[in-house]
Amino acid sequence: MIEERTFEELQKELQEIVQRLERGDVAVDDAIALFRRGEELYRACVERLHAAELRIEELGSPESPRT
Amino acid sequence: MAKIEPVVYGDRKVYTVSAFNRGVARFLGRLPTLWVEGEIQELRRNAAWANVFLTLKDPKTGATLKVTIARTTFDRLELGLAEGETVHVSGRAELYELKGELGLRASTLERVGVGGHLVALERLKRELAAEGLFASERKRRLPQVPRAVGILTGADTAARGDFIATIGRRFPATKAIVCETRVQGRGAPDAIVAGLRALATHPEVDVVVLTRGGGSFEDLLPFSAESVVRAVATCPVPVVSAVGHEQDTPLCDLAADARAATPTAAAALVVPDEHELRMALETCWQRLGVSVRTLLERDATGLARQGERLRAAPRLVFERRRAALDHAGARLQALSPLATLARGYAIVRAGGEAVRAAEAVTTGDRLEIEFAAGALGARVEEVRP
Repeated sequence: MIEERTFEELQKELQEIVQRLERGDVAVDDAIALFRRGEELYRACVERLHAAELRIEELGSPESPRT
Repeated sequence: MAKIEPVVYGDRKVYTVSAFNRGVARFLGRLPTLWVEGEIQELRRNAAWANVFLTLKDPKTGATLKVTIARTTFDRLELGLAEGETVHVSGRAELYELKGELGLRASTLERVGVGGHLVALERLKRELAAEGLFASERKRRLPQVPRAVGILTGADTAARGDFIATIGRRFPATKAIVCETRVQGRGAPDAIVAGLRALATHPEVDVVVLTRGGGSFEDLLPFSAESVVRAVATCPVPVVSAVGHEQDTPLCDLAADARAATPTAAAALVVPDEHELRMALETCWQRLGVSVRTLLERDATGLARQGERLRAAPRLVFERRRAALDHAGARLQALSPLATLARGYAIVRAGGEAVRAAEAVTTGDRLEIEFAAGALGARVEEVRP
């Protein structure tokens, strides 16, 4: 599920979790679950940054027929 | 070719009108193909007609010339001409035989000078703006971290190189899909539209950048072509326009979701700075740790306080009751006559009865005086009623 989402979405969810925990109106059990989720998101984000070198793919030039 | 024969009336050779026209037309047909410059006074085009009719005017003398051009030829030029513009027309003199009218049969025509282009460009700009194509509410936000960046570029190695080098430096994990295509001259608009479509439909491309280095006004014209501007405005993914130099404003700049003055600036718009992103992530990670620890600690102290309160509860109940009792005792005390005596009063009795008035006793009577502490026996020496 994390794989399908954009970096931006993952980072946003992570920030929301941090803000919720910082607000403090969270039960202990929930806090731990949120922390685990945050950790998972953080690792996923970091991993994305570790991806390979700049990849360049040529698309060729698709000239459309004149209409 | 039919010979043009006059009718002979004695010593006079007489031609019919159509024979005369045909003869002159043939004569004119020997004239070379040449270029004529004039201002379009009238332009009539109808999809049902085989030809487009123009009237050219000499702006100095007001002399006019009729021009015809095949409609298919005219349409292929895609000039978007309007009356008042100056054109160069290439063609040959022609006589319209039925009416004996002289004209110019054009094989091609060109708009003359930047002025003409500017007029056309301004008109197109107004039309597209009126349609709302440049409206700011149409602009889409660029993705922060695109899965892939589509780049549409000409055979301009400098612009392309700058762009790729910058995204590689800022965010090495980027995937770049490059589409090199014709970006100037005839056919460039179609090529750009096709390239844009190909990039936008690529499954990973989240943003497309149009790059083209500087060039002359004419070189940049394809980026103002209506088809290109519309393709940019309706592109399924956001488009960044980095066409020409700072001072150039091709219409695609106005339709794009963002505009960059240089390919390097465009690169900075489409990919984040990896270093900054990492810092932001680390900050997030630290805050996550601190917040959860704070939360758990706060919870632990909260729990301890709860326990204390629980243990204190029975004593509290007892103390509260005792306080109530003390209060009742105090009130009882206040009502007791002993309390009055304590303030310095005394009770005087005679024969066991409290004495309320001086005349209740006579001189020599024995009195009992009771104090808060102890009592006295006394005799009356004088009565003052």
